[in-house]
Amino acid sequence: MNRTDIITKLQAIFDAIFLAPPKLTPLLEAKDVPEWDSLIHISLLVAVEEAFNVRFRVGEVETTKNIGEFANLIAQRMTEK
Amino acid sequence: MILPVQAETSHRAPAQSVKLRSVNLNEIKDLLLQNDPTFWIRLKLLTEQATEFDDLIFLSSLRKKAATRRLPRPGAADAPLKLAILGGCNLYPLHELLTHLLETAGVACELLLGDYDNYVAEIMEPYGALYEFRPQVVCLLPAAQRCKYPGALIDARDAAQAAANAVARQVLQLCRTVHERTKADVLLANFMLPSRCDLGEFRTRTLTSPWNFRKWVNLELGLSAPPFVHVLDLEFLANRKGALAAEDARGWFESKQPCSPALLVDVCHEASHLILGLRTAPKKVLALDLDNTLWGGVVADDGLEGIEIGDTSPRGEAFKAFQKYILTLKERGVLLAVCSKNDYARAIEPFEKHPEMVLRSGDFVSLKANWKPKSDNLHQMAKELQLGLDSFVFVDDNPAEIDIVRQFAPTVATILLDGDPANYVGQLQDCRWFEPHGITNEDAQRTAHYRAESERQALMASAADMDSYLESLAMKAVIRDFTPVDVPRLAQLINKSNQFNLTTHRWTETEVQALIGLPDYVCFSVRLQDRFGDHGLISIVIGRVGGDALEIDTWLMSCRVLNRQVEETVLNELVRRARVKGCSRLEGIYLPSGKNEMVRDHYPRMGFEIRTVTPERSEFLLELNSFRPRSTKITLRNESN
Repeated sequence: MNRTDIITKLQAIFDAIFLAPPKLTPLLEAKDVPEWDSLIHISLLVAVEEAFNVRFRVGEVETTKNIGEFANLIAQRMTEK
Repeated sequence: MILPVQAETSHRAPAQSVKLRSVNLNEIKDLLLQNDPTFWIRLKLLTEQATEFDDLIFLSSLRKKAATRRLPRPGAADAPLKLAILGGCNLYPLHELLTHLLETAGVACELLLGDYDNYVAEIMEPYGALYEFRPQVVCLLPAAQRCKYPGALIDARDAAQAAANAVARQVLQLCRTVHERTKADVLLANFMLPSRCDLGEFRTRTLTSPWNFRKWVNLELGLSAPPFVHVLDLEFLANRKGALAAEDARGWFESKQPCSPALLVDVCHEASHLILGLRTAPKKVLALDLDNTLWGGVVADDGLEGIEIGDTSPRGEAFKAFQKYILTLKERGVLLAVCSKNDYARAIEPFEKHPEMVLRSGDFVSLKANWKPKSDNLHQMAKELQLGLDSFVFVDDNPAEIDIVRQFAPTVATILLDGDPANYVGQLQDCRWFEPHGITNEDAQRTAHYRAESERQALMASAADMDSYLESLAMKAVIRDFTPVDVPRLAQLINKSNQFNLTTHRWTETEVQALIGLPDYVCFSVRLQDRFGDHGLISIVIGRVGGDALEIDTWLMSCRVLNRQVEETVLNELVRRARVKGCSRLEGIYLPSGKNEMVRDHYPRMGFEIRTVTPERSEFLLELNSFRPRSTKITLRNESN
């Protein structure tokens, strides 16, 4: 699964959770999306771990700056399992 | 955030775990986007079904968005509950989940969140934000990281025991302090036990091990907790979930989460259950189907010998275990009833003749076995027992019968047995409707009361007139000021009486306790006995002196003693006490609640003048100068001033 595929799959998760889902691009950041608060962030992470069948390691999600880096992290966790 | 997939068996949840996300969340999102007020009904329903952490978080964020958009919400909003949450961990998103559960259950919350691990200072500081907030409920999660023995593993038992007792004492002292300053009820979380194999079997052999140390602290907390402390039993909840699935090391390091998301859901459900339980009474009646519920098979077809009950087969044993558990409910004060579609004579035969039956006819306050719809039978039963249908729980193995009751007696709680008698005890044990809020002696004697009531009714039919009937009962009443020992029963009656209750003003145990000895209040209770038995504490009055008037805030009575002249007895006492306080009139109000129609004309019947009558509130007045005591057939003993 390459980064584009991952972002496509992420888009479906965002569509389910957000009332006004943002269009995902690699450079999109949480602060660009008004609805993306800490509560929705928790929902997102749980849904992502489940959908991709990965488990992030302690502290690593908060080091990703945008959707592109987040997708890279997902890819890395998918291969290293 | 979430641990690998595991079997979810949340205690509130349906038998199967429901993953909402993929199923039907678009529908509720659309309702919100269209500003459709049915959103709230859907939200309540989905919240009740949801078992998963992220589903609940998602629903909670929808609820907040709906509030931001000012989506109209049907139903009157009560004053919000002032809830303070304090603890030695991150209280976010715990508070989101808890307020979500409370708000969807109809309890709006005003929240105060403590800072991370700052609860000792927050409670000790007398002029801080906590006391300015004036909480009604405080939820305290003490720091688990400090609940350990500080000495060496090989230290003597005495030393570890003293340390564990000290931990419990300190935590309970914090609860006392916050309670003394606010009168709030306190939900106190105890400590999860370790999940790892550390120390091996040695963990069981010394009180210095984290395993045994925490168990001891938890025991001390529960056994020494005063009545205003309600233990939020994390040890039990984590044990039920599985210790490994209950903890979350990553969540602790990342954001100081107290436990895994999955357990957080259970903790919040439990906290919400405890908080809702402060204001609602447990159910009173367990109405049971017979065939394939209390025994296997159909007695009218299979005959007395053909039904499965008793130790001769695994199924028979399971049904017997179910009956034994039901008997323990009866011993706790739950009233048992039969509600069966059956031929009456055949249906009661097992109770009379089958040697393996645990339950006997005398264990039931009502036995309905006929061909009428079960909803009709339940209505009839409620009338005969003078109880509200909302105090009934109905159990059946047949979904069609459950459905009829849900439709035509919707306030009855229902349990659909899952078809395997091995699970029946567990289903009943998990229903959460019969949890004691402190068992009182009255509870245990209730079946005797209700049986005696049927005999009284028979006597009434034979007595020539009402007066001679009442005389023949040889009634004795005791009137007593509120006393500390009566407080649990007083609060229980105040919070469960609906029908004979003029104002339905609820008072918590703590509030009742605070009334004792107040000079400008008139508070008393009435106990009644007659030659058939002791009714216990059956009537309560709370009045407030305002100028030369005694305002009757609360006047309620158990319907079991309706038409027994207790009302007149209470009125005589009210007048006597009003005069002692220097009052010249009584002021009564009637607040219709939908359940207290019975007392709409109570004050006029008692000789009060009508001052105002509106659909929401009626006011009445009794001048004392012309009052003459009512004569009754009750012999009175006054144990008060």
